[in-house]
Amino acid sequence: MDRTQTAAIEPQVATASFTGHRWGLLGVLLPGYFLILVTLGIYRFWQVTDKRRYYWSHTAIDGDALEYSGTATQLLVGFLIALVFFLPLYVLFFYLSTQTPEYALYGYLAAAVFLYFLAGFASFRARRFRLTRTFWRGIRFGQSGNAWLYALIRFLWTLLVIATLGLAYPFMSASLWRYRYRHTWYGDRQFGFTGSWRTVAAPFYIDYLILVICVGAAALLVAQAGDPDAAVGFGALLSVPILIVAGLVFVHLKSRFTSRFLSSVTAGKSKLQVHIKARSLIWMYLFYALLFSIVSGLFVAIVMWFFSGIMEPLFAQQELDLSQVAQLGWANVAGLGLIYLALLAAYGALAETVIGLGYWRMVVRSTRIENAEDLKSARAQGNESPLAGEGLADALNVGAY
Amino acid sequence: MAIAATYHDGQVAHPADVHCRFEGAGTNGRIVLLDPASGKERGSWRMSETRALPGTRHELRLAHETGRAGERLVFKGRDVADDARKRLPFLSQRQRRERGKQFRVLALATGALASVILIYLYGVPLLSNQIVTLIPADAETRLGDAVVEQVAEALAEQGGLEICDTDPQSLANQAISRFAEAAVEGTGTPFRPNVQVVRNSIPNAFALPGGRAYYFSGLLEITESPDEFAGVLAHELGHVVHRHGMQSIISTAGSGLLVGFVLGDVTGISVAAAVGSALINSGFSRDSERQADAFAASAAQRIGFRPSAFAELLARISDDDSFSRAMALLSTHPLNAERQQALQNLDPDNAGLPPAFSVDEWQAIKAMCADTKPPKTKSTPARS
Repeated sequence: MDRTQTAAIEPQVATASFTGHRWGLLGVLLPGYFLILVTLGIYRFWQVTDKRRYYWSHTAIDGDALEYSGTATQLLVGFLIALVFFLPLYVLFFYLSTQTPEYALYGYLAAAVFLYFLAGFASFRARRFRLTRTFWRGIRFGQSGNAWLYALIRFLWTLLVIATLGLAYPFMSASLWRYRYRHTWYGDRQFGFTGSWRTVAAPFYIDYLILVICVGAAALLVAQAGDPDAAVGFGALLSVPILIVAGLVFVHLKSRFTSRFLSSVTAGKSKLQVHIKARSLIWMYLFYALLFSIVSGLFVAIVMWFFSGIMEPLFAQQELDLSQVAQLGWANVAGLGLIYLALLAAYGALAETVIGLGYWRMVVRSTRIENAEDLKSARAQGNESPLAGEGLADALNVGAY
Repeated sequence: MAIAATYHDGQVAHPADVHCRFEGAGTNGRIVLLDPASGKERGSWRMSETRALPGTRHELRLAHETGRAGERLVFKGRDVADDARKRLPFLSQRQRRERGKQFRVLALATGALASVILIYLYGVPLLSNQIVTLIPADAETRLGDAVVEQVAEALAEQGGLEICDTDPQSLANQAISRFAEAAVEGTGTPFRPNVQVVRNSIPNAFALPGGRAYYFSGLLEITESPDEFAGVLAHELGHVVHRHGMQSIISTAGSGLLVGFVLGDVTGISVAAAVGSALINSGFSRDSERQADAFAASAAQRIGFRPSAFAELLARISDDDSFSRAMALLSTHPLNAERQQALQNLDPDNAGLPPAFSVDEWQAIKAMCADTKPPKTKSTPARS
């Protein structure tokens, strides 16, 4: 290739790098889990902060690392504020639990819908919290827009998606991406989003059709099976390939949506290019499934080894009554509790190091930024906001990374 | 000797290469930023206003505390970063101090949470006692009506809560209501006791908020004397009078909130939350059991029965080889040697009082659920 030609193109395209690795992140997470136990759960805010610092500081765009400036105390205060917000909701749940079953069911349903609406609000606010605490080259990111409006848009789109049996999903997804990125800022430089439902229409509707055909064919086969007993067995047998197809469709769409939508993101004159292969995602999930089964097997073995004698009476009954755990004696209850918490920690660490880190690394390493030079003229603007944050998202468990 | 660094002025996203010269050491020292080409000074940071930010080993990232929010000096590369660290020994001191501060915040928060838990464990039995008095009696009765439906649904498999003898004027039902009213007489309870014998194979008896109490046919089958029957009933009516059902609902709600706070799962759906609440509440229910026992003893001052017969019934069930049968009543009424002794000590000298149930009444009660399933009579007197 002509030297001058490469020189003309090369400086325009910037790359991103990720220098973190699984063991490094594990070294942050594991002591964190221990401290969470010692501090009765309070340390989780410090652990999340440490984790983010790990991700951010090991991620460099065009040679300069990101910086996470949020503190654990901000998260703790945010959680306390969210708790105040949740108290009335908790009282409502409590009230519902004392009502007649039928009435309670409707009540829970209404509460679940409200919580879904709230999750949109919380995730948008949490995104603002993270963006305004992210620095690159000394300039803070930011987010404008209204979290209530975002929650409303998300909610209405969800209704439409349900009404259309999922067919409206590309529209919803494009609309929400657009809202998020058009309200994202790097200093005084506003982000943009050039994508639309057409960006992901082809993969989505083809995959949708494949899934419908598979499910339809299976339903036809089951219907022809004749006697009901055979049909049930046949249906159970067919559900395995269907689930595999559904899993593949999910992974494929995740890779397509992420790649195409992220590649539609612009900031001023610069433009993102991201490409994630579905294949890499599949390997990642298979690796996760393998480790997950190993960890689960290990824990089952441990519980069987230590507690087989003690646990028997619990399972001898037809219904497992949790209140009877108390009958086992404090030492055993504490032992079981510790094993349960260790299992939670192991699953958490596994998901974070394999899926969390794997996905982040995939996205970062495939990122190209066209016209990155243009970002150098961005000027600082805005402050930390909200001052104490993420409590709602934390409580609703909607935060990512 | 100067060290190369990248300077972000916190104003424009244009990184600048600078050379840093370190003048002096400690808090009086300065870091002077020099333009690498011209050697001109671009600015200087007092070391006392310089702070290291968390980052990787391969990079030393400094913030200027009196400067702009994003103003940074970054030493890139392991060797360069280590070199700079060596020249700024106070940074690690400040980091230690910062870590100490974080530790204090953490310790304070943990201490606060621990004290909330302790206050909760010791305070809730007292507190729910107080809160319960704030709840109007008719609200509790309405709540009881709703709970009945839930319980009936939960127990549907074993027979639900189908009343054995629906005629309130029958000999057995009249005897039971007479006993119940006599037991709560003079306690000032706003509830009318409503005791029902229901057809359900589980050997259990319990009281619900609002004055309802249920005696299961599964328990009636193995109840051998009117004393045992009266002992159980008086105990359950003790729960009614002390409003324990309501108290336990309040404390369950409270402990769910507490455990939810600890685990960060405010919606309280997780298994851990359920186990945690159950453990906290089991401690609380032991106090209620003692109170109900004491109530049974005080009722026995006026009515002729031995409250300790309840303990004998419990002891007999716990000797029963069928573990699952024993669990139902024992899990709600834990029995240990201490409690058995306490119950015996509570037995008043009431030999002069007429017995709680006459022989005829007791036979009628035993036969209440017998129309479909004859009770397995072991030691009951032969019927005519």
